[in-house]
Amino acid sequence: MDYVSPFDERRRTPEPLAPRPDELRGARVALLDINKRCGDQFLDRVEALLGDHGAHTFRLVKETFSKPAGPEIIRRIADRGDLAVEGLAD
Amino acid sequence: MSDEVVTAAPEFELESVAGGAMRLSDLRSDGPVLVLFVAEECPTSALTLRRLGRLVPSLAAAGVTVAAVFEDPLEVAARTARRAGFAATLLAEPPPYDVSRAYELSSVPTTVLVGRDGNLIGRVVGWDAGALEELIEEACGAPVAVTQESPMRKPGCAAKSTYDAQTLRLLDAGSGQDELEEMFERGWTDGLPVIPPTRERVEAMLGGRDPAASLGEVPPGMGEATLERVAACAVLAGCRPDYFPVVLAAAEAALEPAFNLGGQAVTTQPVGQLVIVNGPVRDTIGLNGAMGALGPGWRANMTIGRAVRLLVSLTGGGFPGRLDRAALGQPGKVGVCVAEDEERSPWEPLHVERGFDREQSVVTLVACDAPLSISDHRSRSPEELAAVLGWAAAGAWSTNWWPLGTRSVFVICPEHAELFRKHRWDKRRLREAMFTAVRRPAGELRWGETTPHVERARDEEPVTKWTSPDDIVLIVAGGEAGRFSAVFGPCLGMNDEIISREVRWTT
Repeated sequence: MDYVSPFDERRRTPEPLAPRPDELRGARVALLDINKRCGDQFLDRVEALLGDHGAHTFRLVKETFSKPAGPEIIRRIADRGDLAVEGLAD
Repeated sequence: MSDEVVTAAPEFELESVAGGAMRLSDLRSDGPVLVLFVAEECPTSALTLRRLGRLVPSLAAAGVTVAAVFEDPLEVAARTARRAGFAATLLAEPPPYDVSRAYELSSVPTTVLVGRDGNLIGRVVGWDAGALEELIEEACGAPVAVTQESPMRKPGCAAKSTYDAQTLRLLDAGSGQDELEEMFERGWTDGLPVIPPTRERVEAMLGGRDPAASLGEVPPGMGEATLERVAACAVLAGCRPDYFPVVLAAAEAALEPAFNLGGQAVTTQPVGQLVIVNGPVRDTIGLNGAMGALGPGWRANMTIGRAVRLLVSLTGGGFPGRLDRAALGQPGKVGVCVAEDEERSPWEPLHVERGFDREQSVVTLVACDAPLSISDHRSRSPEELAAVLGWAAAGAWSTNWWPLGTRSVFVICPEHAELFRKHRWDKRRLREAMFTAVRRPAGELRWGETTPHVERARDEEPVTKWTSPDDIVLIVAGGEAGRFSAVFGPCLGMNDEIISREVRWTT
């Protein structure tokens, strides 16, 4: 029987993962707060731990947790950071 | 891995799920290729697709192309791979399975490694974790861990290329499977039986519209909403072709970025999409706004709401328990569509409030949780009834979440509406009375989880349930007798807007 699929059957090739860094010392780490309650507390702890390992951190905040990050935030992470940590919270 | 007799991998050209034909020489232009020969009905093939599917990103990073050759039709290949979470090149091999013969397959799954130079490097028959790990290491030039879960070894099923002519003819004649059961097999359902979207039914639904025209991508999985796929969802839901303009308008509204369907589709909240219909189309297609308006019982209401939800969960990939992460969900996520009873309403209808003419047919989408019934058979003044209606929503989201920070949709039944008509209350007056009635001192709300507003407020400071009277949305629907109104639960934190779209009749 010839049916019409409701699915978009196109397959998308997954993006390969970026190379993993060997160490954190000297790495520039973006800390992205998605703007949910307690996310800042979580990232404060992560920031302190990264500092102990010699990483340099910088913070960014999404406009809202319920929508994808805008291109400007992604560009800033890509331009300034070697790594990124996203703080999901509630 | 066994020693390979043939060194040159036989060239093939097969249809790809992504569209068009693909050759082995195309696949190996960037490096080695891991080819999995599989079949839909073989459990070991499914296990292999699931387990090797997890390694596809690592293999891609190492420059290895992965392709699955199905001894099945394209659509079966696509759905089997989707179920297995296998995201790589998918090819379909038709009977009499010449490619399988050329590779001398005895059973599926058989995994073959082809070098960039086109030579066969190795093959693994069945699921064999150790042998596959060796083969993959050879492909990548570095170890990639293959899962050590049980079973470590599992034999496969006979390749279809080994079937005799009589068996192949039987297969070709179809399995005789019940087609309603087949829809469940394919995953083309919300858990209820569906109408199979045959090409004839989908064409009737399209009514001459361009099947390839697109409304855009449907979050969260960003499947493209071609009119053909929207029509397939409408057929599956049980819509008649004359409902399709309403489904299309609802789909357009859902895909408006300000509606934030992506956020709604993946949240742990139990949010669904309430479809409200105004204007002449209600009568044209038999949408119910009277007795039992919130369902069940009326085909147009039930199936239009369901078509929208199937578009989100199938085309959009927002299926419960997968990308849809709702902790509980709610029955309204099967679909809710209601017509406003403009004729019994004392007020201007919703679409007129939103800037349309009364004679326009309009679909309005609102992100909503489940409805809560509000019974009041004794209020004699509009002030009393306004307070009862408003206080019914005091526990919306949570008893202490004040102000709510979003809207509440109230469905006012005709008998309740009649009281407001008698006292010449317009919508604005009712909204303001409800807004003013529902307030509590901050000190009484400061337990459990509360809002930042309440945390900052003085104990005696009154806090309202809504930020503004405009957060109270009113429509009229329901049976002429029975003083039961309803308020829909809210959707929070999604920065979503109410979206309205006119129903267009032209193709």
